[in-house]
Amino acid sequence: MTTTRWRWSRRQTLGAAAGFAAANAVPWYLSGRAVHAQSPTEIVHWSWLAASDGEVWARMIDAFNAAHQGKGLQIKMELVPEEQFMTKVQAAVVTGKAPDFGWGTAGMRAKQAKDGVIVPLDEVAVQVGLDLADFDEFALQQSRYPQYGNGLFMVPMDLMSLQPLVNTDHLQEAGLDPDAFPEDGAAVLDWAQKTTKRDGDTVTRSGILMTGSGVHPTVTWGIVAAQMGFQRASPDLKTAAVNPEAGLAAMQFVLDLFDKHKVATRDVTDRYKAFGTGQGTIFWTGPWTLNGYMQQNLPFRAYLFPKFGEKRVTYFEQGGLELYQQQDKGRYEATMQAVKWLSDNSFLWTTEGRGASPRKSILSRPDYKTAGPPWDKRGAFVDGMAFATEGEIPVQAGPDFTIYSGGNFLAKTLEGVWAGMTKPEEAMARIQEQWQKGLDAG
Amino acid sequence: MAEGWRALFRRRLPGTNLTIGDVPLWAAGGFVAILWGLPFVWMVSTSLKPAGQVMTRDVEWLPREVIFDNYIKILTQYPIARWAFNSLVVAGVATALCVLFGAMAGYALARLRFRGRDALFALFLASIMIPIEVAVVPLLLAFIKAGLASTYAALILPTIANVFAVYIFRQFFLTFPAELEEAAIIDGAGRIAIFFRIALPLARAPAIAATVIIFTLNWNNFLWPLLITFDESMKTMPVGIAAFAPVVGTHTQLEGFAVAMAAVTLLCIPSVLLFLLLQKHFLRGISSGAIKA
Amino acid sequence: MTGGRGRNDPSGYLLVAFFTVPFLLFTVAPLLFGVYIAFTEWGIIGAPRWVGLANFREALADPWVANAFRNVVRYALIIVPGVTVLAFLFALYVHQRWPLSTLARTLFFTPNVVSATVIGLVWVWILDTQFGVLNHYLGLLGIPRIPWLTSPDWSLTGVALASIWWDLGLAFVLFLAALQDVPEDLYDAAAIDGASRLRQLWHVTLPQLRPVISMVVTLQLIATMRIFSQVYVMTNGAPVGSSASPVHYIYQVSIVQYRLGYAAAISVLLFLLIVLVTILQRLLLRERVRG
Repeated sequence: MTTTRWRWSRRQTLGAAAGFAAANAVPWYLSGRAVHAQSPTEIVHWSWLAASDGEVWARMIDAFNAAHQGKGLQIKMELVPEEQFMTKVQAAVVTGKAPDFGWGTAGMRAKQAKDGVIVPLDEVAVQVGLDLADFDEFALQQSRYPQYGNGLFMVPMDLMSLQPLVNTDHLQEAGLDPDAFPEDGAAVLDWAQKTTKRDGDTVTRSGILMTGSGVHPTVTWGIVAAQMGFQRASPDLKTAAVNPEAGLAAMQFVLDLFDKHKVATRDVTDRYKAFGTGQGTIFWTGPWTLNGYMQQNLPFRAYLFPKFGEKRVTYFEQGGLELYQQQDKGRYEATMQAVKWLSDNSFLWTTEGRGASPRKSILSRPDYKTAGPPWDKRGAFVDGMAFATEGEIPVQAGPDFTIYSGGNFLAKTLEGVWAGMTKPEEAMARIQEQWQKGLDAG
Repeated sequence: MAEGWRALFRRRLPGTNLTIGDVPLWAAGGFVAILWGLPFVWMVSTSLKPAGQVMTRDVEWLPREVIFDNYIKILTQYPIARWAFNSLVVAGVATALCVLFGAMAGYALARLRFRGRDALFALFLASIMIPIEVAVVPLLLAFIKAGLASTYAALILPTIANVFAVYIFRQFFLTFPAELEEAAIIDGAGRIAIFFRIALPLARAPAIAATVIIFTLNWNNFLWPLLITFDESMKTMPVGIAAFAPVVGTHTQLEGFAVAMAAVTLLCIPSVLLFLLLQKHFLRGISSGAIKA
Repeated sequence: MTGGRGRNDPSGYLLVAFFTVPFLLFTVAPLLFGVYIAFTEWGIIGAPRWVGLANFREALADPWVANAFRNVVRYALIIVPGVTVLAFLFALYVHQRWPLSTLARTLFFTPNVVSATVIGLVWVWILDTQFGVLNHYLGLLGIPRIPWLTSPDWSLTGVALASIWWDLGLAFVLFLAALQDVPEDLYDAAAIDGASRLRQLWHVTLPQLRPVISMVVTLQLIATMRIFSQVYVMTNGAPVGSSASPVHYIYQVSIVQYRLGYAAAISVLLFLLIVLVTILQRLLLRERVRG
């Protein structure tokens, strides 16, 4: 007993001495981290979730820390703005001070996989006993990069799609039945006509809420183009912009919403705010917005994305956790244990948080449909995953290809089209050229 | 008759120097001044509104009901006190060092003769033209490498050498009466002693002007703290609060508009307060330092 | 001759050292490194690879670079005269010391002390096309709604308006201080000559203020050439890059796309442009900032 006590205190003394030394290497008043340096294993997590989904994620991390109180494993979360995220991660990796894990988007990290910034997880997942068989097969496949050893580079956390939210007050006002929202594109356009409000020739309330630039017209184009048969890359990742005429038709479709059908206006700056304040009726967006609109008591429902082209397709995004290169390889296992816990306990995240769960065991829980926002708001984002296939192109230039971006190469090129400054053919030629280069580079 | 009108126009309103003829001009200028202040009114007014009454068809300058929920939310759900503390430490230390070092350099450049002096001053002035963004990424890597990312040192060090401080003190000391120094020189005092004992205590006006301007710059500094802080608890106030802007935050904070206005209101307070408190001295300092050559 | 002048005083080095050391470490050194990487290809991972003038060639052919540089000239053409003229008028007004002039002085200066974050959040709200305060009142005057931040034709103007509001304070106090320094007897003499107030302004005030005007124009010009944070928080350069500035593009290239060498090359080009414009402006105003 006495011996044990003595040993214990000696270890403590050593720990304190080490902490003291560490704190002295960088004076404590200069270092924001010194306080944490003494805790046993602190896993550093970087997140860029800043919308209402971020609040739920913070609860997940809190829950982990509460469950592991006194067990020597704690997560410290730091928020990094999304557009700086990879720059900071890479700068941190180069200097040997990378965070342990962070949020990633499937298909967007080919370059980082190649450069070794993110690490393959197959082995360490087995080590900690993460049940890969419980994951949706498609989700796992999306987390791999075939050209880089087909390694698993992220643990999928949620599956997301774009589906229309519809302001039900506007429907009732126009005498339309919220239970009978059409699935056919032409009928949806007709509903949009009926709910649009105009002052002379200018739209004052959009039937289909769009912004004049940025992510919204880009993603709308991307979805409709895919519905019409356009492919950003052939399945073998060899040919870019297959069926360009479908892409051109989709550009015309977006332009027509503004100029021919006049159901949308380019004047909307902030789409989320605009829908929240009733400036538009039909608004396709992701599940991360639900909590915010619920808090605002906005009268809305979510439906399945309409079919404007030949087949029903919508945007697919998969969020997940990725591990960054460490100098101390021993950290991977501890980090993976944390990630495993977060995945195993992601019921909260995929009900109240966002998206559909990639875990079969969670999806099949009887309470999965009753937790979180009501099903008439959340259901479309779970059921709609069936046709959410327009995801990322897993090459190094992936960020140039994504249709969900307000400022990438694609969005910037298309912006000229929406503003009437670039001819659609010209834009398509530029897109084809740049994307082909991206595919050729692998 | 005309003379009578003119006399009336020139008559001053009691207790002021405003003549009757100038009243329209005075009112017009006052109107513009009020316009200039309206964005602040709008900001504060929005911050006191319930979320549901923010976007209204007509402009509502006054909240229908005044609530403090937005402030409560900001203060309880975000580490805004910590951000404010960080900003105060960073802006305070950086400003103090910058003003002191700037005064020393400005004094030497104005009063002392040494080889390379003019070239050094020219280099300082030329650096104003340089887009510091060239240096930002190399600097970022250097600080991460040194293990100083997300620390006060990283936030403070690059902002110490603000050339404006040197400039304002140099201009002031150029017109500094030489007799004051000469007496001390005869007493055998060194230049450094003269600076601390005689020159610096008399340089209150430029010191205040430099303090206000540089504190404001540091308090509002945006790009560098945005890049170098990786840690919620090390963010400065402008960077922390910028997360409420759609561009900086990832997927807009839906509930954030009234809350965001509460946050920016809090963000405005310290620098506005500092300016209001030091307003008189500040203007005097500007006139003695920046203008007179 | 004051004591100490005319000889090499070593204590001068000590006095400037405290400022010069951080200046060299945190401004000059990273800058030189930045100029070096302008001739390399570097994406953070790995070592910079020497590519000679390739980045500069690419920049000169890059339509987004051309666009950003065109925009910055347009920004300067709006903001610099806007700030200078308004600040001068405001200073003249406050200088009259009419009732409430202290309040007016505070109102004119205060925007200068708020951060870009405030500009971003408050002005985006004011300039909103559909619900913005500005369009609401313009509408009352019969002016149709202006898409301030959403159309390629207007976004630059929208950002410039907010910039004028934000930047004006410093120019304003500089003018105000200078006005207070104009010797009273000059006005008295002019008044005795029966000069009208406008003539006094033209013949007495303006000539006296020339050095300050030149200084304000120079400072504002340099600041505007480097315009970034308000662009970043208000529009992020959109739509179609119509409000993007060179520094905003440099930020995009370096931080979002992590092409550090290319970003550095654009920075060097911007620096050259600033030097050129500053020289041109001084030639035009033919009055050096004294010092």
